[in-house]
Amino acid sequence: MGRSESPEVVLIFRGTHQVLSAEKALKVGGVAIRLIPVPRRLTSDCGLAVRLEEQSLPKAREMLAAVPIVPASAHRLLSSGEYEEVSF
Amino acid sequence: MTVPKEYIYLDNAATSLPKPRGVAEAVAGAIGRAGNPGRSGHALSIGSARDLFAARERLAELFGFRDSARFVFTENATGALNRAIKGLLRPGDHVVTTSVEHNSVMRPLRRLEGAGVSVTVVPADPTGTVAAAEVVAAIRKETRLVAVTHASNVSGAIQPVEAIVRAAKARGVFTLIDAAQTAGAVPIDLSALPVDMLAASGHKGLLGPQGTGFLFVREGVPLVPLVEGGTGSRSEDDHQPDFYPDCLESGTPNSVGIAGLSVALAWLLKKGVASVRSKEVALISELLEGMRQIRGVIVYGPEDPAKRGCALSFNVGGADPGEVGRRLEREAGILSRAGLHCSPNAHRTLGTFPQGTVRVSPGPFTTRKEIRACLSALRGIAPG
Repeated sequence: MGRSESPEVVLIFRGTHQVLSAEKALKVGGVAIRLIPVPRRLTSDCGLAVRLEEQSLPKAREMLAAVPIVPASAHRLLSSGEYEEVSF
Repeated sequence: MTVPKEYIYLDNAATSLPKPRGVAEAVAGAIGRAGNPGRSGHALSIGSARDLFAARERLAELFGFRDSARFVFTENATGALNRAIKGLLRPGDHVVTTSVEHNSVMRPLRRLEGAGVSVTVVPADPTGTVAAAEVVAAIRKETRLVAVTHASNVSGAIQPVEAIVRAAKARGVFTLIDAAQTAGAVPIDLSALPVDMLAASGHKGLLGPQGTGFLFVREGVPLVPLVEGGTGSRSEDDHQPDFYPDCLESGTPNSVGIAGLSVALAWLLKKGVASVRSKEVALISELLEGMRQIRGVIVYGPEDPAKRGCALSFNVGGADPGEVGRRLEREAGILSRAGLHCSPNAHRTLGTFPQGTVRVSPGPFTTRKEIRACLSALRGIAPG
């Protein structure tokens, strides 16, 4: 991650338990992710979010649907540094 | 970790000792590195959140339920029972319970009784066992909850919880099981038993540290949080979150204790609760058999070891139970618990109120040699 050409996507969940449940499911599915503090531009929450590459979204959707767990929202990081909400 | 060698520990119904290897080390490790779980994005906060998550996942696995979010950590079984009872019942509601409940069920109910909740206490038989049909017969149209212990902490009697839960559910009544005496010691499968709420301590049969416990809440139970506050989630909103486990877990949790509980749960998962149960039934059988042969010893509760948990109450003639307990300790290093065991109604049911009983309770690390030492000490104390 980081050097990839694929844009970054941030998944926001309701709480820490849901973040860690998602992390567990995504790791089982071989999806590379990183836990990050929730970007302040997205919410004023003090919790954690999941960061992954946009190209991993289809696999991520599949793995999270199997739990099932649904992110509260998903956001693509634009080159401007702003976030654009994407459907999940 | 071991119990000091001068003692034989037979008070596992109060708290289990020793704990499995690694529990104390996990607590000591966590106290040096536990950040506040879910409150920050830094490594030590995430590490602590992972400890809680691992413990919650292990609880869900141990109790056969797929969604670990429904297991809410509490400070003990009492905290879990208070959250269940006071979070559900409102003035005008009726609750059915039994005469063998611990004060951690009865005292919250008595308090609510003064606030317009009506309470029916169904009497148990002289062995301390309640009849499912009598509990079900006490359900009325305004009954909101049936609260029943899984096994008495005094007589050890296992209650017919499955029949009670199924009948209550069929009548649209919520159910609560107090599993303080059985969690980790008697197999409980929440995918098969449709109970709405189940409360337990983490430091008895679950073999974790004191200061831990949990409440399981099935989907669809409209539980109102007893305590509101910071959860680390939805911080922009000054209203309590409505999702599990956050809605019922406000304030910094006992991450240190839960790190220890997690190791204990891993031990139980590896060992298997059925295997622990089978060992404890054998120990209880030997105790029961031995006590029956000592003249003057009166044993309470069901005769069949399969119908009992690990608490075994007895008296020696008319002797003061406190004095018998003191002699067991002084003469043989045996640690028991004498008195009323926070369950006055259970003693009234057995006919042992107000003097109480002596209670011995083996655990998964108790040996047959220790059981024989207990019987030998009792033979010395009994008048013969």
